[in-house]
Amino acid sequence: MNSSTHVFHGDNAHAATNRHPDSPQNPEPYVPTPDLVRAVNLALFLRRPLLLEGEAGCGKSRLAYAVAYELGWPLYFWPIRSTSKAQDGFYSYDAIRRLYDVQVNQLGQGANTESPTESQELESSQLRRRDPRRAQDYREFGPLGKAFSEKQCTSVVLIDEIDKADIDFPNDLLTVLDEPWAFPIPETGEWVAAASEHRPLVIITSNKEKGNLPAPFLRRCLYYYMDFPDKERMGQIVDTHYQTENKKPPEQNLATGAIDRFQQVRQDANLFRKPGTSEFLDWLEALHSFDDKEASPQLVAQDPIPYPELLFKLRTDWQKYNKPSAT
Amino acid sequence: MNEFDPRSLLDQIFNRLRAADFTLGLGELLAAHQAIEGGWGSEDIEELRQVVALLWCHSREELLRFNIIWDEESPIETAPPSSPITPATAEEDSTLRETEQQRASSDAPEKSSSDAPTNVSSLPVRAPNITTASENRADLRAYWPVSRRFMVYTWRYLRRPVPGGPADILDIPTTVQRVTQQGFFLAPIYRQRERNQAHLVLLIDQDGSMMPFHRFTRDLVETVRDESTIGQVDIYYFHNLLTNSVYFDPHLTMRVPWEQALTHISTDTSVLMVSDAGAARGYRDTNRIRKTTEFLSHLRKRTNLLAWLNPMPTERWPGTSAQVIAHLVPMFQMNQDGFSNAIDVVRSGPLHYPTVSGSQ
Repeated sequence: MNSSTHVFHGDNAHAATNRHPDSPQNPEPYVPTPDLVRAVNLALFLRRPLLLEGEAGCGKSRLAYAVAYELGWPLYFWPIRSTSKAQDGFYSYDAIRRLYDVQVNQLGQGANTESPTESQELESSQLRRRDPRRAQDYREFGPLGKAFSEKQCTSVVLIDEIDKADIDFPNDLLTVLDEPWAFPIPETGEWVAAASEHRPLVIITSNKEKGNLPAPFLRRCLYYYMDFPDKERMGQIVDTHYQTENKKPPEQNLATGAIDRFQQVRQDANLFRKPGTSEFLDWLEALHSFDDKEASPQLVAQDPIPYPELLFKLRTDWQKYNKPSAT
Repeated sequence: MNEFDPRSLLDQIFNRLRAADFTLGLGELLAAHQAIEGGWGSEDIEELRQVVALLWCHSREELLRFNIIWDEESPIETAPPSSPITPATAEEDSTLRETEQQRASSDAPEKSSSDAPTNVSSLPVRAPNITTASENRADLRAYWPVSRRFMVYTWRYLRRPVPGGPADILDIPTTVQRVTQQGFFLAPIYRQRERNQAHLVLLIDQDGSMMPFHRFTRDLVETVRDESTIGQVDIYYFHNLLTNSVYFDPHLTMRVPWEQALTHISTDTSVLMVSDAGAARGYRDTNRIRKTTEFLSHLRKRTNLLAWLNPMPTERWPGTSAQVIAHLVPMFQMNQDGFSNAIDVVRSGPLHYPTVSGSQ
């Protein structure tokens, strides 16, 4: 195996020292599987978008933070809403503000005798910065635009929950996330192209809430399905979590007891909605330090299950586990 | 021991996957070659499998199918796939489990045959291998003529944009023009948003011979109601025959006289009928043809934007009522092309549409 192809290691021990200002500042407690590390490195090598699917709360979005933190690269986060358009990710252009500035400049030339108040001063300093003759002053880059104009450093773009967008959205992105990795800005006459050695790493998450993504889009992506972690990896996640947060970790037998109980709950086939990793960590934290009383493994085994409000978010699930046992 | 040629293996697998309806292009093959050149899986076949799976599979279902094909094609015995490829049994849903079981059962005879080659008679019968090109695999595949996504997409083409509602869209060119004319800026100019004022009447045959297609008609109704921009959609159901009454609900309980439904239909109304027209069971029923002819001529007095979607393939039309009805109204098979053509016809009228192969 060529070692130069391995850039991402998946632990914070390899965190970069020279960090980009837009890179996440706090370490991300993240424990990826070797397969996921391989997927990220392959995506980096081929510079194809990495599409992540999996249950809610299994750490799809956090991966982007972990990658950006470890490599010290800037992270541009683009949460997708139902009204998101592909262009929002590239740039926005404020034509009205430019028109306004033209008007204000014309007025200002006539009567500018009064001493400016504080707010006016602020206004005029901004005016000096924005020149209506320069269209570039009124264009603002979106997450992808910022990543593309980053010439010195590779960046990570997280397109979160792409399935929430309009049906056309992935297709509109396609032409930009492929050769020649560039888009035009007609308002300013600019042509924004990513430097060929610093094409961004695009990480896309999806829940498949609104059906499948279009086939041509899928074709270009690397696809990885995130499985729920097993007991061993959950133990690692707990360790890493408390280590990174610099908090007192729960006792070993409390943690293993909680993991066992949690996995047991998840294996219940009658559960409508299964709780995810983030909910588990919250639950463990509640067991560990919410009450003053000494946290003990007995608490975990208690019936009904303690703190059900952290695990069950549907009425039927909640009622099922919140019933005191018949005995 | 680990000697294998990753490139030829890749090409082989690529062709098999393409034959199995994976959406893969030459770019994906080249990307896999590029990955091998970069040192990914050029020595270890198990790693190669995982790299190729990352690149070429785009759902869990595809991963399962990929693993079967890989096992058949790969020259070296490989270990059973590791955790990310075989989903953990705890949270996999029932369909996946079924596929997995099928896979396990198709693997089992292979192994037992190598163990005990003499005792052939007691072996379970193996499902026929469907890899040869000469076999007609269409019958073995699931019938999935139009995907939901395609429906959502195609409904978009049915539009009649008319400005309406509050003026809330900033018209930048007009604003700038006004400012230059006046010499000063008073207020931005807004205009009204364009709304889709198309009116669609969907007539759906329900029950009987249409029973196997309810999945699609339900998708049609759901997509046009919830995920299309069409301004007004009226959905009526009928059973076999379009006569003087139709129903509001798919269970055919809320009857409404067709005369009453007809009053809402104007020259701009698009009418789309969904029925097998007797092609599913191969009937040629003169009564059905006569009633349908009457119905259509009645409808034509109101609007000319008519089309008929037939879920049966065109090869099944000849000799049935569908063949005759296809002469009276543009009839299309319910596949991607047919559905797009039908939308074209109900949008702009049947001035020009390709002749249907099912009718002479």
